[in-house]
Amino acid sequence: MNQLVNPELKQELLKYGLKEWNDCFHCGNCTAICSLTEQGFLFPRKGIRALQLGLKQSLAGSTDPWLCYYCGECTETCPRDANPAELMMSIRRYLTKVYDWTGLAGLFYRSKLALFIGFILVLIAVIAVGYVKHFETEALMKFGHLFEQLVILAVFGLILLPNIFHMFWLTIVKQKVKAPISAYITGIWHLIWNVFTQNRSLKCETGSFRWFEHFLIVIGYISLLFVTVFLNWFSTTNTIIIWLGYIVGGIVFVFTFHFIIGRLNKKREVTKYSHPSDWLFVIWLFLLGFTAFIVRVLIDTNLIDNNLWLYIIHLIVIAQWGILLVPFGKWTHFLYRSFAIYFAYLKKSALKRQGAI
Amino acid sequence: MMEEPRIGVYVCWCGTNIAKMVDVEHVSKELEKLPDVIISRDYKYMCSDPGQDLIIKDIKENNLNRIVVSACSPRIHELTFHKAMEKAGLNPYLFEMANIREQDSWVHTDRKEATEKAKSLILGAINKVRWHEALEKRSVDINPDTLIIGGGIAGLTAALEIADAGKKVYLVEKTDKLGGHAANIDLTFPFMNSVQQMLNPKIEKVINHPNIELFLETRIDEAFGYVGNFETTIKKENEEIQLKFGNIIVATGLKTFDPGGIENYGYGKLPDVVTSSEFERMLKEGKIQTNAGNDPRHVAIIHCVGSRNSDFHEYCSRTCCMTALKYANQLRSALPEANIYEAYADMMAFGKGCEELYLATSRKNVTFLMFDQKDNLPKIRKADSKHNFEMLIEINDKLSGVTVDVPADLVILMVAQEAHENAKEVAHAVGVSMCGNAFYIEKHPKLDPVATTTDGVYVVGSCQAPKDIPDSVSQARAAAARILASISFGSVEVEVTTAVVNEDLCCGCQTCINVCPYTAISYDEEKQVSVVNEILCKGCGTCGSTCPTGAIRSRHFTDQQILSQIEGLLSTVLELEEA
Repeated sequence: MNQLVNPELKQELLKYGLKEWNDCFHCGNCTAICSLTEQGFLFPRKGIRALQLGLKQSLAGSTDPWLCYYCGECTETCPRDANPAELMMSIRRYLTKVYDWTGLAGLFYRSKLALFIGFILVLIAVIAVGYVKHFETEALMKFGHLFEQLVILAVFGLILLPNIFHMFWLTIVKQKVKAPISAYITGIWHLIWNVFTQNRSLKCETGSFRWFEHFLIVIGYISLLFVTVFLNWFSTTNTIIIWLGYIVGGIVFVFTFHFIIGRLNKKREVTKYSHPSDWLFVIWLFLLGFTAFIVRVLIDTNLIDNNLWLYIIHLIVIAQWGILLVPFGKWTHFLYRSFAIYFAYLKKSALKRQGAI
Repeated sequence: MMEEPRIGVYVCWCGTNIAKMVDVEHVSKELEKLPDVIISRDYKYMCSDPGQDLIIKDIKENNLNRIVVSACSPRIHELTFHKAMEKAGLNPYLFEMANIREQDSWVHTDRKEATEKAKSLILGAINKVRWHEALEKRSVDINPDTLIIGGGIAGLTAALEIADAGKKVYLVEKTDKLGGHAANIDLTFPFMNSVQQMLNPKIEKVINHPNIELFLETRIDEAFGYVGNFETTIKKENEEIQLKFGNIIVATGLKTFDPGGIENYGYGKLPDVVTSSEFERMLKEGKIQTNAGNDPRHVAIIHCVGSRNSDFHEYCSRTCCMTALKYANQLRSALPEANIYEAYADMMAFGKGCEELYLATSRKNVTFLMFDQKDNLPKIRKADSKHNFEMLIEINDKLSGVTVDVPADLVILMVAQEAHENAKEVAHAVGVSMCGNAFYIEKHPKLDPVATTTDGVYVVGSCQAPKDIPDSVSQARAAAARILASISFGSVEVEVTTAVVNEDLCCGCQTCINVCPYTAISYDEEKQVSVVNEILCKGCGTCGSTCPTGAIRSRHFTDQQILSQIEGLLSTVLELEEA
């Protein structure tokens, strides 16, 4: 069965940050200049073509959009000002909707109202919990810690894992990628290595500082998660853990603040176009680190009981982050990108086995 | 008796073009030894004014009566030296050129051998020029009336141009109305002007013009005569009219290709597959609908139908790409919500405003698909009932490498433009040649795109090749200007190096009549000999070389001249010196 050309898909992608799709006349400059594209994984041009024709299966079955780290060189050198980098970005946003089995990711992209209601509902729920717990510091903090663990479990188990399996289904099973079993195992190292380092982006023209900044945030974020959830930062008396929490929390909010400034300045290609989902991501990540930092400061200065509202705000931020932004927002890019690298590794092994590359 | 030849030989350096490969000084010195060669010189640039003056001075001072210039191709400078000869009071035909540049210095690498070859070429020229005769230029009067065949935009424009200058025009059109293909067009690309608004005033003016005699539903018989003096019989119903005129403009246009033969497109079988001409009619009527009377939600336009494909026509029909973009724009206005697809092989968007039209159209949410015109034509099939559209077009999209199905309710085939079936009849009637695609051939593809090899006959508009309106109009106006110039001059110079028949030797076999490419030879029944019309004859020499009895003599290329030239080519200076 041939794929059906569907010009209406472009209209849908407008919600995902797509602006103009007609400028590209397929000279292929973007693919030629990209330092990450390679034989068997040619982008961005091919993705742009699939978008222009509305080839849903081609888009959903491709890992290529995730292999791009948005250095923006293609956009800078595009002779038609077609902005391939941002086209790739809108395809990635669209793909998070494609993989998401709940449909909420798509709903939040399509409707700002739904997203707003979601945020408000979470806020009300957290305040309601505070009310039920009589706004008592210890009880609330205990709840908060338990809540964090449950959310992580639920979001991963019920939403993200099925979505990753869905992604596997679309990109590997349906595309009939026949990778050797050994590749599935060796690829895991690839996956883990990339989750932590994202070192593929070092090949980009944007240089190592961007990678380093990104690396620190990823490490900071993962460590903060570890310190607060597993080492129970807010309740611990261990000085080392307390200081570790301060450091990683500080790293998260300082560098995300720098990211926010960058998006406001719009000096580099990657920060020129900010979709609402981009703003939500950086601002909430900043708030996450910042409120956690302040809460611990209040605990250490014994002011927390008089300033419980700050912990409630932290809890609201965490809840909105964990329930809305992590499973349905830009946070998934981190996960899908890492798995895309794993799946691309499988594809590459399959292509090598066929002798195609 | 011929006068004693006194020959001047001039060897040109052409800067270093000749001098670097031919020892010009040695050559000119050697040639001076020859009998009858009075002067032999070499000079930097013979074609320059001082170079020509050198010849003129020598002719006058040394009483020269034959000149040989060995330089570049006679194509480039023969006329220059003819003029110099005239200035010196010598008949220009007592001149011969030896081409030692294109045929020698430019194509050889051995200086010694190139020098020898230069000598041989010049010896040939010297030997030939001995036998040259003085020929007199002739001219014929021009009949100021003009015949124009075809009442399309090109014919109308040319007719008005000539008639407005006060000269008489006979305009012959085979159908019952004027305007041709342009009359069927709604808007023009790329600026979307209304054709009616430009065409109707022209037609009105032609009909009422006192200098234009209009013959509708009229066909033309064979035209006889030559530049300045043609005549023909035209047939209107049962009436036969004799016309006399000095020039002819052929503006017969073309017709559209029938796509019925392309199985992939299902034209004639699928009711919603229409040709561009049929769609143009829909646009003119202001009603874009499917056969069932619905508004189409998916409209696909397929380019290159019958063009650029060796099974049909190899050439590009030139106007279809831009017409297709025009359709996309008109469709976008008429059906804002419809999906519009342009399936093209290559987008031919040259010309003023055309690339801009392409860009503007591409911003109107038109989906462009690129297919392979050689091996992989799109294939149209009826859609299943589960789809909410009529047809599916299978296209191997080159830009994605994926074979896709394009939904369609209406498909427009951009059909090729091809020559009329009766192009040959008209070509024969007026004496123009046709290319392999049955389009008329112009005299020179670059430098003379409106004249033909028959003097006084011009081709304008799309009978020469598919053309858009501005190109047809330019060509029409150019032809009109050429004709008006010749009318105002009053007479025209004709070729003098023609063929002549020696009636005593002619056996009346008529072989020459069959081979003459200019229909310049006729048969005199009474005398039973061939007669050359010296005005039509171009002096190509075909008849002379075919004539079994040697009765035909080509002036300026007589047997004696040619044989003598060959003898010169094959001799050395020493041999000729001794002889």
